[in-house]
Amino acid sequence: MNRHTRYGYSLTAIAAALLAAYGPVQAAEVDAVTELAKPSSTVNFGLGYIDTDAPRFGQYSGINKSGGYGLLDADIVKRDDATGTWIIFTGRNLGLDNRELRFEHARQGDWGYFIEYNQIPRFNPYTVNTGLAGIGTATQTINGTALRNVELKTEREAVTLGFSKNLPAGWDFQVRFKNEEKDGARQWGQGRTNPVTIPPSPTATVNFLTDPINQTTRQLDAILGYAGEKLQLSGGYYGTLFENHNTVLNVPHSTVFTQMALPPGNQSHQLHLAGGYSFTPTTRGTFKLAYARATQNESFFVVEPRLNTRSDLGGAVDTTQLQMGIVARPMAKLSLRGNLRYEDKDDQTPLAQYTAVTARSTLDGFNEPRSIRTLTGKLEASYALPMSFRLTGGVDYDEKKRNTFRVASVSQRERTEETAYRVEMRRSMSDTVTGALAYIHSERDGSPFLTTVLNCGAVVCSTGTDPVITSTASNLIAPIHLADRKRDKVRLSADWQATEQLSLQFRVDESRDNYGQRVGSTLGPQTGEARAYAVDAAYAFSDEWQATAWISRDDTRFEQLTRPADPWQAKLRNVGDSFGLGVRGKPLSRLEIGADLSHANMRDENRQQALSGTATDVVPDISTKLTKLNLFTKYAVKKNVDLRLNYIYDRFSTDDWTWTRWTYSDGTQVLQSPTQTVHFVGVSMNYRF
Amino acid sequence: MKGKRYGGLFSMLSALILSAGLMAGPGTAPAQAAGPGSETCKNCHASQVESYEASKHSTKGDPRSPANAGACSTCHGEGTAHVEAGGGKGVGGIINPASKSLSSDAKNSACLTCHQGGKRIHWAGSTHAASDVSCASCHQVHTGKDKVRDKLTQAETCYACHKEKRAQFNRPSRHPLQEGKVTCSDCHNPHGTAGRALLVRDNVNDTCYACHMEKRGPFVRNHQPVQEDCSICHNPHGTTTPNLLKARSPFLCQQCHEPAGHLGAPGVFALAGPTPRGNATLVARGCLNCHTNIHGTNNPVDGAGQRVFRR
Repeated sequence: MNRHTRYGYSLTAIAAALLAAYGPVQAAEVDAVTELAKPSSTVNFGLGYIDTDAPRFGQYSGINKSGGYGLLDADIVKRDDATGTWIIFTGRNLGLDNRELRFEHARQGDWGYFIEYNQIPRFNPYTVNTGLAGIGTATQTINGTALRNVELKTEREAVTLGFSKNLPAGWDFQVRFKNEEKDGARQWGQGRTNPVTIPPSPTATVNFLTDPINQTTRQLDAILGYAGEKLQLSGGYYGTLFENHNTVLNVPHSTVFTQMALPPGNQSHQLHLAGGYSFTPTTRGTFKLAYARATQNESFFVVEPRLNTRSDLGGAVDTTQLQMGIVARPMAKLSLRGNLRYEDKDDQTPLAQYTAVTARSTLDGFNEPRSIRTLTGKLEASYALPMSFRLTGGVDYDEKKRNTFRVASVSQRERTEETAYRVEMRRSMSDTVTGALAYIHSERDGSPFLTTVLNCGAVVCSTGTDPVITSTASNLIAPIHLADRKRDKVRLSADWQATEQLSLQFRVDESRDNYGQRVGSTLGPQTGEARAYAVDAAYAFSDEWQATAWISRDDTRFEQLTRPADPWQAKLRNVGDSFGLGVRGKPLSRLEIGADLSHANMRDENRQQALSGTATDVVPDISTKLTKLNLFTKYAVKKNVDLRLNYIYDRFSTDDWTWTRWTYSDGTQVLQSPTQTVHFVGVSMNYRF
Repeated sequence: MKGKRYGGLFSMLSALILSAGLMAGPGTAPAQAAGPGSETCKNCHASQVESYEASKHSTKGDPRSPANAGACSTCHGEGTAHVEAGGGKGVGGIINPASKSLSSDAKNSACLTCHQGGKRIHWAGSTHAASDVSCASCHQVHTGKDKVRDKLTQAETCYACHKEKRAQFNRPSRHPLQEGKVTCSDCHNPHGTAGRALLVRDNVNDTCYACHMEKRGPFVRNHQPVQEDCSICHNPHGTTTPNLLKARSPFLCQQCHEPAGHLGAPGVFALAGPTPRGNATLVARGCLNCHTNIHGTNNPVDGAGQRVFRR
């Protein structure tokens, strides 16, 4: 039996993480093919050190406290050539809180199984100074202990099992089961306006709480597939289960609410079948059918007062999906594409009255099941022109139908439909310049907005001649996802191989939205704009030295109007400027070096302005900056042993005022260092065998 | 240079197979594209052959693999004429599936011969296919470790075209993509899907529920935009506003809610401490300071605050 060891690439998890963290820099690949093909199982071990506490830096890795960390990764791959059997073990960040392990055993083309463990922490980047007792548990006491600093954290631990088997005649079967436990605590709270009997008034009581997370999520995917010369099928079952081991948060002695509902357990079961058939070498059709039933019947926690005797909601949602598509090339230069998709999400949760209502209230007291039907269609034609150009024109249609309620507090619309027209010129087959320019115009409208009415029970609200009374502050705002909208979008992309050494990429995206308002009103969403520009360059000085650079800007704006009494407008804007530089080199035969630098400067604007009446407060802009520098060297001590040094400089700074001007009613404060600078140094040995 | 000689019929058959559209389905042995053999190719293309030998395509124990057909010739074309002519780009009908001068259909045909089932059923007519993206645009075939199939490095490949996502994942509020815990293919199937935006579960909400199942409900009190589409309020790629929200409170909520009572009030920055209609809607958790169960509540109580997600 010939047993060969196939070799994994010897990039450490830290270096790879750095590569991913500095992904904006297009890392030039120094002998990448050779590196990746070089056969060896690898074990990488070492030590890392950061010089200071770093909540943002280590938010998802656990490298958030000053001190040392063990670095351990393994990538072991073995293949038996005669049988085609693989054994693969992968371990990443084994010394850290975001460790992953995967073991796979497979006979290629026959069977395979794997087991995987994955840990995902999330360390709250803020420090909370609070007297809340029972943090993370189902009973929490406000000011139950002296004020102290706490650091909140949630953690997911997932175990995934998978098995696959190739069956005769092109069939195959796969099953995958994932169990995830999520535990911890996240920032939460409760609040209410104080009754006028509690001075001073008007004011509110807002207490700090934690969301006590103790949840289990399970997913099961079982798929039977067929792959033939013309026909391919994939059908199966997808089941999910969510369990919340805490159904209610008890807050004894709270003057707000002594019980807070937590997310209820729920489950879903879906059967699906998808397929594709190649009628001819140039004509292919695809389809998908799916039916899912989702239920939520978590027992209500006992709480009074109650208006009905139900023990649970009896929630049930049926979702049916049908998709059909076809792509064809009836002539050598002409391609056609069509697609139709229908989805019906039917909420069959039984109605019951949960809330007592008074006359002329904005609710009828019943629960509100939410159903929606979606129909989307697409038609596209593409024609090949000389010089490798191609002209494409297309129409996209999107219709949604929603159930509505007679009494509501937000504007409703039964149907929206949006039609988009696209035209694009593309050049793909060229050694020098490829790219595309596209223009998309879309318009959304729909059925008339319903007039939401107040609830007057069996009696129609009346002022005499006007048979229906609405609140004076309703039927004024067309919600952003229902409002009429005209959108214009331009996209430009270009890849240019300027010289043998230099390649350039250009990207431009611009989009503008204009929203319609409800009849008789000027309030609600007004306009939106989005722009994104990027230029990337890669230069190969030689076989040993390459460099990359990029710069980008993205700018999103939105304007809206509303009023308490007098109208005021909000102009929202988020703009980011970023750049990156990267260098890879091999100054000596045994020595490789590299550097990546990236910087992002972001600004949030929330500009309020009264159009009449009392002036609005000035809301300061929020500026956030991120700078990352990564330096690394790799020295070949021996043919199969590398010594690696990594240095990371990471700086986060912000003037975000979200928490700096806030103290909870119970005295809790949420704290964040506005500037966080981290120096990380890592030393590791990479051993191939 | 030694090499095996094959009849013209085999050569023609190989060329037809590789140059046509959608051909032999996956699950079958690849077309018997005869050729000089990988050892011959190695004389000039040593690094490519060595990297091929590290990949699953070279596994002889799998009857489907190119190693049991023509090895290099399976994808690159019958190479005898190429060898006899002394090599060269395109010489002798040799094909480079990563070539910029070939159409994406021509480049993809070799791959789709075997890889058209499963998650690739909806490739034809998909957004990437219509944009002339080829398999080699994203995948490295001549390697034992394809960068796009590794969670830590996958996003780099996607960023080659999706620049705005590169900027968004650099925002302070984001999924842990940089740490390799979440990757683009956790939510998107780039090979094509039956739904919008290449989402793995065909719609936004079902895709999000895979990790955020506590938001599914349904609830005694449903919040309509939550049940319709998570992306009405959230941008999953990254935002400056916490919790991946597209805009800050109260402005985000005021994009839908009628201006009754404090709902229509502007943000108050000057005041300290929680006040209704004051900075309680702007700072800290904003509107969620009170309306904390914003995704829906299963609280059945007939009491104040239940209907508006306060408990």
